[in-house]
Amino acid sequence: MKAVFVLVRKDFALLVQDRASLSLTFIVPFALIYLFGQIFGVNRPDPGPRGIPLAVVNASDRPAAARLVEALRAEKTFRVVTDYVKPDHTRRPLTEADLTPMIHADEFHFALVIPPDVIRTDRLGLHLKIYSNPRNEIETQVVNGILQKTIFSNVPQLFAQAGRERAVALIGASSFARFNQGIADAVAQAFGGDADRIRRRMEEGEAGMRRLDLDGPDAAAADPSASAAAAGAPAPATGAGAPAAAPPNLLARIVQIDDVQVVGKEVKSPQATLLVGGWAIQFLLFALTTSATALFYEKDHGIFHRLLSAPVTRGDILWSKFIYGICLGLIQLLVLFTAGHVLYGIEILPYLGWLIVVCLFAAAACTSFGMLLASMVSSPDAARGIATFLILLMSAIGGAWFPVSLMPDFIQRLSKFTLVYWSMEGFSRVLWAHAHLAELLPVLGVLGGIVAVVMAVAVWRFNRGTLFD
Amino acid sequence: MLTLTSVTKRYGALVALDGVSLEIARGEFFGLLGPNGAGKSTLMSLVAGLRPPDAGTLTLDGAPLSARRADTRRGLGLVPQNLALYPKLNADQNLRIFGELYGLRGADLRGRIDEALAAVGLSDRRHDPVKNYSGGMQRRLNLVAALLHRPKLLLCDEPTVGVDPQSRNAIFEFLQARNREGLTIIYSTHYMEEATRLCSRIGVIEHGRILALGTLDTLLAALPFEEEIRFPAGPATAGLVEQLAGHGAIATVDGLHRFRPKPGYPLSAFYGLTEARGLPDRLFVSQRPTLEAVFLHLTGRNLRE
Repeated sequence: MKAVFVLVRKDFALLVQDRASLSLTFIVPFALIYLFGQIFGVNRPDPGPRGIPLAVVNASDRPAAARLVEALRAEKTFRVVTDYVKPDHTRRPLTEADLTPMIHADEFHFALVIPPDVIRTDRLGLHLKIYSNPRNEIETQVVNGILQKTIFSNVPQLFAQAGRERAVALIGASSFARFNQGIADAVAQAFGGDADRIRRRMEEGEAGMRRLDLDGPDAAAADPSASAAAAGAPAPATGAGAPAAAPPNLLARIVQIDDVQVVGKEVKSPQATLLVGGWAIQFLLFALTTSATALFYEKDHGIFHRLLSAPVTRGDILWSKFIYGICLGLIQLLVLFTAGHVLYGIEILPYLGWLIVVCLFAAAACTSFGMLLASMVSSPDAARGIATFLILLMSAIGGAWFPVSLMPDFIQRLSKFTLVYWSMEGFSRVLWAHAHLAELLPVLGVLGGIVAVVMAVAVWRFNRGTLFD
Repeated sequence: MLTLTSVTKRYGALVALDGVSLEIARGEFFGLLGPNGAGKSTLMSLVAGLRPPDAGTLTLDGAPLSARRADTRRGLGLVPQNLALYPKLNADQNLRIFGELYGLRGADLRGRIDEALAAVGLSDRRHDPVKNYSGGMQRRLNLVAALLHRPKLLLCDEPTVGVDPQSRNAIFEFLQARNREGLTIIYSTHYMEEATRLCSRIGVIEHGRILALGTLDTLLAALPFEEEIRFPAGPATAGLVEQLAGHGAIATVDGLHRFRPKPGYPLSAFYGLTEARGLPDRLFVSQRPTLEAVFLHLTGRNLRE
């Protein structure tokens, strides 16, 4: 056993002498966490995509259509393009005819057309046209989602007007006017005010909507125009048809959802806490596979012959590599999480004990993977090639890139066979769910099982192979 | 001290060692001479316990040599053919690692490291990374790393490959000094001059078999000729070669004919033939046979072929 520790100490002495390995252990993790954090927008106050070019052609003269364009301009996800720049650098408003060639020219991937018949009489609802080049599925989904949200949140008047015009088409203008007058008379009689004014407000589609648009229980009191409309008083000088500020949360006021977060609500940096584990385990797999391929260097330089002619067994050599890998992996994982703590505020100190335990098992699993790989190939180059493929595959299906729950059932089942999945599960249970031993035991058991099986195969392969010849 | 009895080792269909029997006495400087692929390194690796024989036995001081027996391996030191060192570490760190693997610790280990580095002239470079050493310095360190634990038997597997003449000489002197102090050495090489200079006894190995075994004198004495006459191969000497047929063996190596007369064939008869053919005396060099001649005689081919 003493020989094992001498060999482990030797590997650490080699690490200390190797600037590249040292920086890989202590500096690169910080850079990696910082860069990935920036890429994923971790801890940004309003994370999410920004500045996706969106061409908008507004062919409608309705005030609500202009209001929709303004709402889209206010949306940070989009960079709204409404002008066509001619070769002489003069500008003119975009037309629908411009869109197809410009999308082909890759000037933007999405365009919204608000046609003259945005409100149609032959059907209920709005008519909008979207031109797209959906070459990036995620971008397309994001754009569609934000567009829908903006439309539904910002142009309630359009829906009201659409409903009114559909009603006129169905029952006739005079019947509709009589119906409105009747309602207006009833309101005026019951609550007071000018019945004609109330009817006009109803026909403009304004009545009631502003109440919904406003925040808080005192919405009516806070909005003089709405109050005035309701009371039949003259409206303030904002002017009918002038685009108003976009109300942000109409839907939220229509549908009340009480969000009760059961787990992780006290996590200070939720996004980083969930993401760092995946990045860390992926980094560790690459680092420890490289470390395991050092076995080939020692073979090629005859060092194994010298070691094995001493009172050192093959088992001593393999155990020393395994223990060194675990120690190195543990250090690297802790450096990675420390980087997450320093750069993005992940809380690790209160859970350090269990985090170290999970890191230990994850490091052991990654080390055993590296050793299995080294036992199955005949050169470090081959090991690196296969490692890249396997690590990327395991990371993808193990959930290091995307949540496993978004993957097909088959892949979700497959992911349970990867050490990436179980390592991330362990990190998540400690840092997100603040789990204790009983909740961690299944994860640790699976990781321990992976280590046992993979190392058994690796040792068997090493003993049958030519590494020590 | 070391006894090999009918040792056989195969790698698949290849028989690397074929029933080798050998006895090496304490204090011997034994040379294992043979070309590349003859089986020298395999024999060394079996003695070093790196791999087991397929058949036969190896004993050191009567105890079986086994890869599993740490006590027997403490009596051995191996100088591998490669530079089995960690180039990023310095000499001190390298020796400390190899010393600790043999259980050396503390002041004892420090003292032995100082002594070893001084013996090979590396004391003043002890804190430099080994990768910054010259080839000769690395070879010297490679050598003393195997001696730190003071083994009874030192196995040197072609330890001077790629070494400049000066460092080679230093290595020879170092080994001879250790041998004089009582260290038993097995030295494998394909350089005849090394075996001639260093070894008290030589085993000639080819195709996994020991073809001849003995001191240099006994090996030379076993040759069926006492003199060897070398002369250039070419049209001028072609007729002479024909006339010599039946009077001895002629081999041609590196553009030179080597004529080894049969016992009793008088050299005066040879020089009579050259004179008759008008061949000048300067073409002919007569010399006592060397180890190379022994190998040539035993195998029919040159050691370096």
